[in-house]
Amino acid sequence: MNKPWNNKAWFLVLPVLALVAFSAAIPLMTVVNYSVQDTFGGNQFFWAGTEWFEEILSSDRFWAAMGRNLVFSAIILAIEVPLGILIALNMPRRGWGVSVCLVLMALPLLIPWNVVGTIWQVFGRIDIGLLGRATWALGIDYNYVNDPFDAWITVIVMDVWHWTSLVVLLCYAGLVSIPDAYYQAARIDGASRWAVFRYIQLPKMKRVLTIAILLRFMDSFMIYTEPFVVTGGGPGNSTTFLSIDLVKMAIGQFDLGPAAAMSLIYFLIILLLSWVFYTVMTNYDAEK
Amino acid sequence: MERTRNWKLPLAGVLAAYAATAWLLANRLPVKDGAIDWQASLFPGSWMAWSFPTALFFLSIFLFLALMAIWEYARPGGHPRVGILRFETTRGDRLFVSLLGSAFIHLAWLGLVGPGLWWALALSAVYAIGVFRFV
Repeated sequence: MNKPWNNKAWFLVLPVLALVAFSAAIPLMTVVNYSVQDTFGGNQFFWAGTEWFEEILSSDRFWAAMGRNLVFSAIILAIEVPLGILIALNMPRRGWGVSVCLVLMALPLLIPWNVVGTIWQVFGRIDIGLLGRATWALGIDYNYVNDPFDAWITVIVMDVWHWTSLVVLLCYAGLVSIPDAYYQAARIDGASRWAVFRYIQLPKMKRVLTIAILLRFMDSFMIYTEPFVVTGGGPGNSTTFLSIDLVKMAIGQFDLGPAAAMSLIYFLIILLLSWVFYTVMTNYDAEK
Repeated sequence: MERTRNWKLPLAGVLAAYAATAWLLANRLPVKDGAIDWQASLFPGSWMAWSFPTALFFLSIFLFLALMAIWEYARPGGHPRVGILRFETTRGDRLFVSLLGSAFIHLAWLGLVGPGLWWALALSAVYAIGVFRFV
């Protein structure tokens, strides 16, 4: 009997499905239910239809938070990717320096996000922080609590400090996988340093760089803890990104309907990005 | 000899379960001024705040998933192919792209045109057919 397919193994994923149902599906269903209704508490709900979605989609507040998030992601990508490549290119390939560099690079990644926020919150304070005191001593008028520009600088530098290592480690993994024969051939041809980077190293790093860019974009687009701990979204709303705005709306104002609509729009954007990420990854694997 | 799979019976079962569940849910709705109040709470006082339209939405998503399972049962393998996106997609990928795209079509309609989503639904159906045909 010809029996090319047996799908009975799918039953083995039933426990995972049950877990996902409780941790993701039921909360998501609840959010969908809230997004089309209004409540004043006491589990009393009133039908609102698509009103909250229309309100969010036409709200300046939502698009401003979205704009800030996109600008933030663009800035950190523009800094972290070239910086990560530069550091990876200059890391040793053999000897004791490899372990030292890898451990140093991994350290920021091991620190919990709220701790990173707390470190930078204290570090930047003008009364007790090393950065704050040092900048004041140098005559620079730095105060991330009052000045939106300083708050942005602090949040960006913090993210660069926290996450450039990830780009470095991914790029380094790509670089060490290049066989020496490539470099020997380049030397024989008299290739310049730039030519070696452009035609050997960069193409070989393409896969890991794509992963790094997508990972960093998704992460920065969902950023919450670090800027919340450092600036709380301020001064004003200057560092209020989408996730911070969402929490303010849902928990601060208890506007569950608009917050649910906003979180669904946010969720769909993240879902789209995740799909792009998954597709790129699986297609690279298929090519490989 | 290849075993033939009877997919018509599971299909009838799934469609009957869908219709029966929708009917049961509709029966929970209160009557207001002589007409069914479609927007009323299905389980008053419940924290999950189920309403008939959202329940029907999720019921339809489950229906799509069940239909995909029956399709897979009838024709195993997921029908992978390379379409206009230039990478391989299976039937499941095409359903996901259809649903995600439909969500954005509805959002775009709400943001650019306004309430009244029947045309957005029709556009989404056309889009989904296009995805299943060409992607």
